[in-house]
Amino acid sequence: MTSARRWFLLLALLFMATPARSDDAATLEKSFDLSVKPFLKSHCVRCHNADKMTSGVRVDHLDAKLEDRHLKLWEHVLKQTKSAAMPPEDAKQPSADERKRAVEWMEQAIMVARSRPTPKNGSVRRLTVAQYRNTLRDLLRLDDNIADILPPDAVSRDGFVNNSETLQLSPLLLEAYFDIADQALSRCLVDPKAKPTIQSFRVDLGAGINAKPIKDNLVLGADSLLIDKRDFTVEERKPSKSFAFEPFKMQTKYRFIEGYAGNDTVRGWREYENIYHSVFACMRGSHGYPKGRAYSTVPEGLLLRPAIPSSELFGESSTYGPRANFKIALRELPDAGRFRVTVLAAKYDDGLMLDPGTKPLETPDSLVCRDFKSVTVKTPGVYQVDIHAAKMAKSAEVTLKLGERSFTGTPNQPAFLTVRLPAGPLLVGITGMTLERIVFTPLAAESDLAKRFTSFEKRLPQIGVHMGFRRDCGSTLSPVGVPQTVTGEKLMKYVFEGAVQNFPDPNVEKDNVNYLAGVREIGVRSEYTDGRDMPRLLIRSVEFEGPLYDTWPPATHRNIFPDDTQDAKKVIREFAGRAFRRPINAQEEASLFAVFEKAIKGGTSFQNGVKDAVQVVLTSPQFLFLIENSSTPAAEPLDQYELASKLSYFLWNGPPDATTLKLATSGELTKKLDAEVERMIADPRFSQFAGEFANQWLALDKFAVLEPDRKKFPKLTRDARTQLREEPVKFLEYVMRNNLPVRNLITSDFVMANEVVANYYGLTSESGFKFEPIRHGRRDLGGILTEPAILAGLSDGRESNPVKRGAWLARRIIAEPPDDPPPNVPALTEDTKKLSLRERLEKHRNQAGCAQCHAKIDPWGVPFEEFDAGGLFKTAKVDARSRLPDKTEVADFAALQKYLAEDRIDQVAFSVLKHLAIYATGCNLTYSELEFMRKDGLRLKSDGYRMRDMIRYVISSKMFLEK
Amino acid sequence: MSTLQLDRRAFLLGLGGASLALPVLDAMGTEVSEKIPRRFCALYTANGMSLPQKQHGIDEWSWFPTAEKDGKFVFGKSTEPLAPYRKHLSFMGGLHHPSGPKADPHVCSDMWLTGAPLHNPKPGTYNSVGLDQVVALHTKQFCRQPSLVLSIDAGTGFLSRTGTISYSLEGRPIPAENNPRRVFNRLFSGDKDSIVAEREQLKRKIKLVDAVGESARTLNKQLGKSDREKMDLYLTSLNEVESRLIASEKWIDIPLKKQDHSKLNLDATNESKPADYYRAMFDLIALAFDADITRSVVFMLNREDGMGISDTFPIKLGLGNTHHYLSHATDKPGQLAFAKYDLFLSEQLAHLFARLTEFKDRDGTLLDNTIVLYGSGASTTHNPKNLPTLVAGGSKLGLKHDTYWRKDDARMSNMYLSVLRSLGIEQETFADSTGTLGNSIFGRA
Repeated sequence: MTSARRWFLLLALLFMATPARSDDAATLEKSFDLSVKPFLKSHCVRCHNADKMTSGVRVDHLDAKLEDRHLKLWEHVLKQTKSAAMPPEDAKQPSADERKRAVEWMEQAIMVARSRPTPKNGSVRRLTVAQYRNTLRDLLRLDDNIADILPPDAVSRDGFVNNSETLQLSPLLLEAYFDIADQALSRCLVDPKAKPTIQSFRVDLGAGINAKPIKDNLVLGADSLLIDKRDFTVEERKPSKSFAFEPFKMQTKYRFIEGYAGNDTVRGWREYENIYHSVFACMRGSHGYPKGRAYSTVPEGLLLRPAIPSSELFGESSTYGPRANFKIALRELPDAGRFRVTVLAAKYDDGLMLDPGTKPLETPDSLVCRDFKSVTVKTPGVYQVDIHAAKMAKSAEVTLKLGERSFTGTPNQPAFLTVRLPAGPLLVGITGMTLERIVFTPLAAESDLAKRFTSFEKRLPQIGVHMGFRRDCGSTLSPVGVPQTVTGEKLMKYVFEGAVQNFPDPNVEKDNVNYLAGVREIGVRSEYTDGRDMPRLLIRSVEFEGPLYDTWPPATHRNIFPDDTQDAKKVIREFAGRAFRRPINAQEEASLFAVFEKAIKGGTSFQNGVKDAVQVVLTSPQFLFLIENSSTPAAEPLDQYELASKLSYFLWNGPPDATTLKLATSGELTKKLDAEVERMIADPRFSQFAGEFANQWLALDKFAVLEPDRKKFPKLTRDARTQLREEPVKFLEYVMRNNLPVRNLITSDFVMANEVVANYYGLTSESGFKFEPIRHGRRDLGGILTEPAILAGLSDGRESNPVKRGAWLARRIIAEPPDDPPPNVPALTEDTKKLSLRERLEKHRNQAGCAQCHAKIDPWGVPFEEFDAGGLFKTAKVDARSRLPDKTEVADFAALQKYLAEDRIDQVAFSVLKHLAIYATGCNLTYSELEFMRKDGLRLKSDGYRMRDMIRYVISSKMFLEK
Repeated sequence: MSTLQLDRRAFLLGLGGASLALPVLDAMGTEVSEKIPRRFCALYTANGMSLPQKQHGIDEWSWFPTAEKDGKFVFGKSTEPLAPYRKHLSFMGGLHHPSGPKADPHVCSDMWLTGAPLHNPKPGTYNSVGLDQVVALHTKQFCRQPSLVLSIDAGTGFLSRTGTISYSLEGRPIPAENNPRRVFNRLFSGDKDSIVAEREQLKRKIKLVDAVGESARTLNKQLGKSDREKMDLYLTSLNEVESRLIASEKWIDIPLKKQDHSKLNLDATNESKPADYYRAMFDLIALAFDADITRSVVFMLNREDGMGISDTFPIKLGLGNTHHYLSHATDKPGQLAFAKYDLFLSEQLAHLFARLTEFKDRDGTLLDNTIVLYGSGASTTHNPKNLPTLVAGGSKLGLKHDTYWRKDDARMSNMYLSVLRSLGIEQETFADSTGTLGNSIFGRA
């Protein structure tokens, strides 16, 4: 036994209060032994024991203690006994008197158990991985995801990872905390006297802008669609900074022994010296594009159409990335630190490529151009442009130039383009094909095509930046931040920032000898949303800078050492106070300062001495744990700092900010609790709560790992799934921030969608990637129950699954969790595969051992049968009638929705309250707490159980405020 | 939870000073002093094995056994050199990584030990942790070095055509070593500077862990009746961390086991005769296991898609073409030449088995206490199903051999979980495992 363990046992013994047994308890126990125990033994245990759990029930372990976890079972036993439903008719029956005595005892014992107070002994709860990551980022101002090496937290019965029962601690975890702290501090702190090195370069794009292109052939392996070497330049830059720094010189001399000759393996040393072997602009990905050319260079820059995603499954589609897939390939990036990618971009003044099958037009108003030099436009407006090929001319890629603008495509018909033309002379040019004439026909404003063009020209491209590395079969890239809307036709700077370490890295050794190994990539795309025609994105230049320092020493350093002070005590005290989320006490200060002093005595520098102390802070329980310190078994109010942390880890999933801590310091937090909660909900950090809570409560992780059948659900691409997974989060956040009634969770006249999600539903949005409420006017949409992230997540990617959906609804939405499946459930026999789903479920329900639970699960899931495994309404008519566990008949999903939103709304609200409370406190609630809330929560009904009110209800409850 | 027991105070009082000898091992707990090390070794060969087409009539050259005698499999010609060890090995048929067919087939060496969904990785990552590093994580506190990562080419190579088969807990490639002399120097004659630096690092860590313990105890005194279990768990874990660090520090002073190194051919390099090179590396692996320097070793014998120097080995051996080229052969002479390269590799493997059998543990041979995994990420080239796999050794770890086991579409990850359990590592899952393999070889593990 370790000394610490011994010490602890001793303490535990000293502190273990022996509660005086109440007379009640003693009497109850006596009469249990006398009458109830024999009753159970002779009438129940034969069928309901550990080995033979008939209907999934065992009672052989019940005793007079009536522990909380057994209360539900006791109530069930009472019900069965009182109504004489048990023992079954064909079994030996107890006498009326025996039954009465047992019933009376159970009633009394359950009453006593319900009214007994739960001892409150404070709590010590480890930060979850997400909380730890948020806390570390906030505390150190470090963007790196260094907490990623932590193993994921275990999931509690209710689906939460912040439950004090399931949050484990192990030596491995502790070692990881030490390593993370060490690494994090090494990245935060610098030598203030040293000059930093900064890498910066810019790639300019435009047809023919490079007067001195590299002579070597650039080789980038399989499926590289290179950009002409004359169409880009690379220039190393020296950014302007307020401090001295060393510009990083990229290596330009290389020696390679393989990989420089296409996809073949060649051996033999070759030497290179040129910056264009260090950085090059290129395309890669699937060939072709539905209409027009995926990308082209014009003098002003590179034009990109939206990048149509590929499933990247080998054998099914290209693994080389989307169409069009532009990137800058390069060999060197900083090892760590923040970086910035600045893209100079604009929306192109584009024309709409016409669909196949569009008829050519020619009216008296048409302008006909036969000299292919110019026309004069009298009336400005929208024109259809038809290019009529000369006889015998073969279809080929043509580029039509109208003034400065350029349009490339491979048409199989004359109808080519719709475009807005200004009045005046217009230069016309054509390359690629011999034409007979070009016809410009003005379109009436009310014509379909003109209308389509008008909405097309209003659309704004979404620019996205990605970073990662080149594989031989594609790329491993991650998005840098979120896509940005390109607002106009004037070139503007779009800035993307991130931390290098958060992006996939080829991890190649410095002296690697393969030309294609270790190639890093910065991808720039016009992001694809819904496939509608989109004006092209024009990229003029892409600039990189990293590590990105706004000041020297950088913010991460000054965050720990705000000035030149040599007052270690002060530095340590302030940092530890922030880390512990409360002022540190004298002992803590002394022991942390001792770390510093010891280091100094050992010859360490001031900075490293403080670093040692700070590292101790970052691995101390005061930092890693949320502690509510209680000195008696009676309930005590949280102290102000405990309250601050409890609030912030609930509402932000992160540490309290200075405002909350200031209220705690002045002792006003409890008094101003309401206003503070409002402020915290209004804060952007509330999104962290919404994400965390929605993901866990609604079990969205299932959707995250779904691999849908591509043939059945072609629209369920990886990119679409990423956005659909956000939908429940955004929905929940919206109803909470706007304090809408809980009914909206079941049925709402709006959905929260961006263009991707709207497109999945067959709706139209113009919000880019931003989620906005959209009225849907449909019976298959609204609320959370209809969301694909849930419905598809509860399928296997092929067939819908009413059992999973039913169990989910019972557990998460109405808080009537079915019992756990009993052990040794016999598997259904194979022949059930031929049966219809309804028959299969019935068979399941009728099988002994399954019936008990499935009768409470399946009926909830059957109405969902109207939705397929991709979460959309099935096209075929489906029999979705169901008889719910409480005998209510519903005809279909809409009827279930109505029933839940009207008849069972109390239950839904209770479920929300219950899950909120469990999440907020990080503890399992006791039976009496739950039952109290079930009744007391009805107070919120008159106002429709508004979502924010429910959060406030939980926060103002004793469960939350007492320890 | 590990069984490592080490009372730090007693340790420091009784054993401080430089003249530490073997009794120190006792202080490091029974796992080090009494129990026989449980070890893991993975050997990868690229481009699959020769499984000749039926029409060529050379079934006896199939790497997987094609014949049976008296209910037992018969070794094919390319695996014949392994016959003396048949009681110590089993062929495993039908294994695959479910993510394999979804990704480009050339990435099969990247995922061989990890099973990662390389076609759809977790955002911001490429790969996930490999089996050897999970073993290392659980054995590193009992030996000098967590793991030994070897490959035909040094470094990490080219992800998607990886040059190392070892991936860290974060899924980053671990650079491999390829030079016998450098490997020897690092394992058996640590250089002074790195020892000093390592010791400094450990001392600092121990000091900090100590200080954290101090801070935790201060907190504990202030705590009332709060959840004591959690703090207890914290302090026990901390104690364990400290014990491990102290153990690591002490390893530096503990003299290495006496071994005969005179027969080592440290001049061999990957440019020497292939057999000389592989044998030198295998000798080093056996010696490292014998001295309990590490318990987790991987060795990538050659690389996918013609990468690196090993592609030329079949030419050096007179088989007429490169490794990658031969693997694509569909004609009879080509498939035969490819099979003859399998034979060459079997001969080298037999050498390793011989060495592992010569060295004795207190109970059984090294081989009896080591699970050796040998295989490829492709069955024939580009085919990510029915991965040629051979499991050897571990009879003292509960493995039962002399079998050609087959099950279509069985998961590699399930076998990996079985390997972990057999090594006493009680993990619930590994990668996309759905359980353990549960077959006659691994028994209940």
